Amino acid sequence: MAGQVRPRPHGRRIAGVVSIVILLAALILLPQLLQGRPFELRLVTIICLYSVLGQGWNILGGFAGQTSIGHGMFFGLGAYTSTLLLIMFGVSPWIGMIAGAAVAALFGIFIGFSCFRLRGHYFVIATLVVAEIVYQVAASWDFVGAASGISLPVKEAGLANFQFHRDKTGYYFIALAMLVAVTVLAAWLRHSRLGYILRAIRDDEDAARSLGFSPLSYKLIAMAMSAAIVGVGGVFYAQYVLYIDPPSVLALQLSVIIALIPIFGGVGTVSGPIIGTAVIIPISEYSRVLFSGSGRNVDLLIYGFLIMAIAVYLPNGVVSILARPSVRTMVQRVGRRFGLDPKTGEENSKQPAETPA
Amino acid sequence: MRLHPSLAGLVVAAVALYTVGGANAQDAVKVGALYPLSGQVAKSGEDTVNAIKLAVDLINNPTDGVDLPLAGAEGLPNLGGAQIELVVADHQGSPEIGQAEAQRLIEQENVVALIGAFHSSVAATSSQVAERMGVPFISGESEATNLTERGFKWFFRTTPNSDTQTQDFYTFLKEIAAKENVNIQRIAVVHENTLWGESFAKAVNKYIEDYQEFELVADITYQQGTADVTSEVQRLIAAEPDVVLHASYDAEAILFAKTYKQYGFNPQGVLAIGAAFGSNAFRDALGPDANYFLVRDHWSRDLSTTKPVVAQVAELYKERYGKEMDGTPARAFTAMMTLADAINRAGSTDPDKIRAALVDTNLGEADTIMPWEGIRFDATGQNELTRGIFIQTLEGTPKVVWPFGLESAELVWPRPGAE
Amino acid sequence: MSETLLIQLLVSALGMGFIFALIAIGLTLIYGVMDVINFAHGEFIMIAMYATYIAFATWGLDPLVTLPVAAVLMFAFGVAVYYLLIRHVLGGAMHAQIFATFGLMVFLQAGAQFFLGADYYAVSGSLLSGVVRIGGVTVPLPHVAAIVGASLTTAVLYWFVFRTGPGRSLRAASQDRQAALTVGINVDRVFALAWGIGAACVGVAGSLLSNFYYVYPRVGALFVLVAYVTVALGGFGSIHGALLAGVLIGLLQVFAGFFISSELKFVPVFLVYLLVVLLWPRGLAGKA
Repeated sequence: MAGQVRPRPHGRRIAGVVSIVILLAALILLPQLLQGRPFELRLVTIICLYSVLGQGWNILGGFAGQTSIGHGMFFGLGAYTSTLLLIMFGVSPWIGMIAGAAVAALFGIFIGFSCFRLRGHYFVIATLVVAEIVYQVAASWDFVGAASGISLPVKEAGLANFQFHRDKTGYYFIALAMLVAVTVLAAWLRHSRLGYILRAIRDDEDAARSLGFSPLSYKLIAMAMSAAIVGVGGVFYAQYVLYIDPPSVLALQLSVIIALIPIFGGVGTVSGPIIGTAVIIPISEYSRVLFSGSGRNVDLLIYGFLIMAIAVYLPNGVVSILARPSVRTMVQRVGRRFGLDPKTGEENSKQPAETPA
Repeated sequence: MRLHPSLAGLVVAAVALYTVGGANAQDAVKVGALYPLSGQVAKSGEDTVNAIKLAVDLINNPTDGVDLPLAGAEGLPNLGGAQIELVVADHQGSPEIGQAEAQRLIEQENVVALIGAFHSSVAATSSQVAERMGVPFISGESEATNLTERGFKWFFRTTPNSDTQTQDFYTFLKEIAAKENVNIQRIAVVHENTLWGESFAKAVNKYIEDYQEFELVADITYQQGTADVTSEVQRLIAAEPDVVLHASYDAEAILFAKTYKQYGFNPQGVLAIGAAFGSNAFRDALGPDANYFLVRDHWSRDLSTTKPVVAQVAELYKERYGKEMDGTPARAFTAMMTLADAINRAGSTDPDKIRAALVDTNLGEADTIMPWEGIRFDATGQNELTRGIFIQTLEGTPKVVWPFGLESAELVWPRPGAE
Repeated sequence: MSETLLIQLLVSALGMGFIFALIAIGLTLIYGVMDVINFAHGEFIMIAMYATYIAFATWGLDPLVTLPVAAVLMFAFGVAVYYLLIRHVLGGAMHAQIFATFGLMVFLQAGAQFFLGADYYAVSGSLLSGVVRIGGVTVPLPHVAAIVGASLTTAVLYWFVFRTGPGRSLRAASQDRQAALTVGINVDRVFALAWGIGAACVGVAGSLLSNFYYVYPRVGALFVLVAYVTVALGGFGSIHGALLAGVLIGLLQVFAGFFISSELKFVPVFLVYLLVVLLWPRGLAGKA
């Protein structure tokens, strides 16, 4: 029709890129705002870290449809690997990060190889069980410090040593960089051939097999990527806190949070994990600070209630709010102001319709 | 009715005087407290913080009838009567949160010192922050020995550490063997598998070397929170120990004691570290079977027979918080008093001065509610004047039975019915 | 190893095993009928145990007496949970269901701590505590009671599921939900029934446990992990599978704990689980 605006690919793409650049710039400048506020700086750093973990989980859980509640083990494997290399051989944490990712990925492949043949809930329980075994072994093995854990040596602050002391802005930037990298990876994955195949396997494994794809190989790839990313997160944590023990890097609670975040935000979406973290973490942190001293677990009460509410009302995650007609129209209107085509512009508004979670 | 302007003016002036005039010109001295106030140990965390609050209260307000230095001082005398303001933070048992909160307390709340942290793992990370930022950190209840083996300059610990506490067991056993003329040879240790239990077991294994007469016949680790201890107890029975050393929390202590009874396991003595085997919950759950267990504790209300101030403070605690004080709150109370004493002697909120004052601490036996010889820190920041006590439940009541000389009842050894 | 020791280990193993089995049976029933894993199952145990304790502390009622009451109470609770929460997440994705019950778990645990505090409470001097002497061997009564109680409950359950009308509806709905609807079975009611029965089983287990264990807000977490493994090992949806698996696990952890290591006594359990499901992906007796 004559009066309608036609989608202009170039204009739209530029507008999309500009908005992302603005967002990134804001995130980079954020620490300036947070000078002298270590609590808030830590909060955003943790949000970045958990978003990374959520993105990692999402590759296996969202894209490939394999729900794991044992991902904490990869976090711990990464943390312990880099820490042991540092303490025993003086290996730089950056190399340790690669090693940690590799160890996590290999372990993931090993688990996947043996357990991917399990369907549905059997697989979920298997991930839980393997993570428990890893926890118990770590807690009783003297070589890795058993229950006492390992204290990392304090080194001079700086990027080379991957340690920052008085001013923790360095950690924030590293976490942010990790998040950007992982999000780009997730976005790429979503639109790549690999991503499509994974989704096909997730939606109907037998059909995918009949088309000539080996589900096992693809699931293993997803598992390796997923485990590696979470492992890298573990290395970051070790360098951040400079002390690791089984309860802090291998606990079941951690595994659950890692899964909860993308589910809460929107399984199988690129922004889901980020949104999930941005909502869950501040709630948990602020409720602790506010209700601190009451010892009454009010924050956990709220937390539990929230999770139930989300499961009932937003099973596709917070992101699915954007799929609602009323919200959709609002987003489209906003999008149109910036020259974005309502149908193919903003990624968020598109996903829930495409991915029944 | 309209208020006459001059009357109104008087009222305003009076209110102003009341609010401004009464207050001290001196700023409050802020101290940060890091404790677990949610999750599993929330109760214990709360009890511990309450003890610290009591200490702060005693110092800040006119108090009668408590014979401790600075009690009733109405603020710190050498700082112009400055009040101590406690800023409490919940670390939820997480070393990472502890680290973050320590930094927040120092940078955003401007505390002059930190006290904490109950969990040794959290004390490790939060004191590291304090060390780097040059702020004194005092711990009254974090026992992992390695906390004072890090070469830190800003970390001070008033409580005896795991190693020292373990040595008490051997000292005690040796004295029992001599006094009661019994043969104690085979020792077994049963412990849970977290940091606390592990530290104890390590120390037990380490110090037994010093005693030719003792032999370790079993070292049984169990999963903390286990539902059934049959296999553990059967292994213990098979080892035929004379004495069992225990490191268990409340829940498993009850389970073990019940299982011992069920299988008729009755060694000469069961000695435990930590308060579990002598707690109210334990006595309630086991009734008469709670008798004869020995607990190495830090403090007991019973000590008031030789030290009246113990009862004075215990009574106040009970009045305010509705429960009896026990070893951990008592230690935290003492740590806070020690810190206040140091800040007062420093006469300033300058961290270096406070640190120097802490190093010079020399409190005597009468200056604390603990059964210690006093408080004096060695080069690593560890209080070297501590003393442990052993409590035995007799006829349903806990009684101090050691050190011999400080006891309020006579030790029953061996357990009735033991071989 | 002496005969006495062997018998003692066996009795304890079976006692714990039957308790695990009973808890698992409740879980597997729910799963079998509607494909939902109840992550809050451990909290059901906690509630049953608190109820038993409160009855003891307030009115001096022995757990044995409270047992039937606990079962009925938990039945009602299970039905309530179904209608208030579970119903709304059926037919959704698996992870939505997982997180609905997970949220319930956190909520119940926090609620217990909020209202009842974090302290440990144990029933003391109950009728079924103490020991019993069988042919010269001393065995703990609570474990014997657990074996008897759990067996009885399972038998009753079997009778119900295979010999009564409602039981038939339950089986029909678990086999083919659509067909059951077509035949006029009120599937919604059947689901509520499943939750009620599942919770009632836990009610019995909780009362039996109160004879020798203590209750605190997190007591559920301990048992529920083992319960999941039991269910999966036995095969989701199979009652006799859960029974078999429970007993097997009870035996494994006691003997592994005695001969290998107390600290790692559950590792063999987990390893066996992995081994079994790798060879028989549907567990020992799982439905196709």
